[in-house]
Amino acid sequence: MPRKVTVDALACEGHGRCQNNAPEVFQLDADDISRVQLDEIPDALVAKVERAIRTCPRQAITWVEG
Amino acid sequence: MVAEKQTHDINLHDVNLFLRDEFHEAFRVLRREAPVHWNPGSARANGFWSLAKYEDILFVSRNPETFISSKGIGGPGERNPRPEDVARAAARPPGEGDSSIITMDPPRHVKMRRLVNKGFTPRAVNAMEPQIRAQTREVLDAVGDRASGDFVLEVSSQLPLAVICGLMGLPREAWPLMFELTNAALGAGDPEYQTAQVGTAGSTEAARATARAGNLRMAQYFREVLEQRRAEPREDLISILLEAELDGEQLTEREILEFCNLLVIAGNETTRNAISGGLVALDEHPDERERLQADMSLIDSAVEEILRWTSPLHHMTREATADVEIRGQQISAGEKVMMWYPSANRDEDVFDDPYRFDITRSPNDHIAFGIGEHFCLGAGFARKEIRVMFEELFDRYPKIRLAGGPDRLRSSFINGIKHLPVDYR
Ligand code: HEM
Ligand code: SF4
Repeated sequence: MPRKVTVDALACEGHGRCQNNAPEVFQLDADDISRVQLDEIPDALVAKVERAIRTCPRQAITWVEG
Repeated sequence: MVAEKQTHDINLHDVNLFLRDEFHEAFRVLRREAPVHWNPGSARANGFWSLAKYEDILFVSRNPETFISSKGIGGPGERNPRPEDVARAAARPPGEGDSSIITMDPPRHVKMRRLVNKGFTPRAVNAMEPQIRAQTREVLDAVGDRASGDFVLEVSSQLPLAVICGLMGLPREAWPLMFELTNAALGAGDPEYQTAQVGTAGSTEAARATARAGNLRMAQYFREVLEQRRAEPREDLISILLEAELDGEQLTEREILEFCNLLVIAGNETTRNAISGGLVALDEHPDERERLQADMSLIDSAVEEILRWTSPLHHMTREATADVEIRGQQISAGEKVMMWYPSANRDEDVFDDPYRFDITRSPNDHIAFGIGEHFCLGAGFARKEIRVMFEELFDRYPKIRLAGGPDRLRSSFINGIKHLPVDYR
């Protein structure tokens, strides 16, 4: 099952590590908040997203459960 | 039955371990033999848990309610604290932590961060790059055509001072005082910086008195600055803090003073040592240095490797608020936990060949800036300062060489270099 990922806009501080690690999935907007670019994460990108979750300094990125 | 705490004969209380630069070997042993271990206290100091593994430090950093900062972050603390400190801590409203952002707990902590965060985002830092470059050139101009000197006093300490004083709107004349007070606050355990005439050189009494005198002098200085800004607001960080509201209320004078104190100390001492330590690392790895100087587009990843390699802060401390088990060790509520960043940053489970200095290392997910709730607010500035400094330094003095070994700070908190003799040309 494809999975969804979300960024908590209140927790995000725009450090941009997610964008460096998985540019296909995360892009900073004009206010320096990371925005998810894909509705569903294809299997090929899951590892990159996992790394983005792990390295986000503010724990702003999570998988959407269910 | 209470399980026995794992201990080890490597004693992380021994500050000489850090002075002699033997700590990396000690941590290698601890990661293998006792990654979560108990360092018994002494008559004076509290005992503490040491975390040597990357994963465990992530876990603790990301659970700021269970591992709090408000009981002190700079070490295990004294077993018999002064009565006035105990009274002050007890008088604090519960759940609010201390009045400095770095020793504040959720939920107030993140609100405090949001007041100032916009000034520290990568975008804000990028906008400041031309100014940081101009400041760097000014620092190097002052070296002039000197053939040799002390890299710390002349170069690596000067840029962080210029940048942080610039952000706070402090004049050039304030630099020497800020330099002196930072050394007093963070280098208090080193006889060179001890100003107080108490006890013997290097003693705990002298360290405590030096730090206290430095902090008092800093508060006194900033009280005057606050007065000026109230009368004549500007656009600097101090003015922002004076106007900011949190939950509908202005910050207290004490909160603002503590913030200024933290910015000066955190902004100076760490970045200075990343630049000095970076030069040492490059000097000790001539192939990597040559690779960088031949292709300065590698500078971004070189900066990351310098941060991983030097890990300018040795640790941050937390206190557990609940019983938690990590790797089979039972940590009890009320116990201190120290997170050793240099160890995490050489963890064999995370970094390939961690003892190799590799300026193109990828991935390089070091945690020299911590992670989670208290992730370094100034990381963007630190990265930019280190980058611009090496670009300008190698442009101006491509042949700069160490002319002697680093003179290290006596501290288990800061991976500091006090003096570094160099030949500039
Ligand atoms: C290479 C340089 C630096 C290193 C290695 C470093 C490291 C750290 C670390 C490890 C923490 C986390 C503390 C914790 O988890 O308890 C931290 C916090 C902090 N740093 Fe830095 N730092 C550096 C430069 C700077 C600079 C340049 C500034 C200011 C411009 C700064 C301001 C702060 C502040 C305000 C905090 C507290 C954040 C909070 O509690 O939310 N740091 N730093
Ligand atoms: S890494 Fe985290 S804090 Fe940084 S931009 Fe991405 S989501 Fe935001």
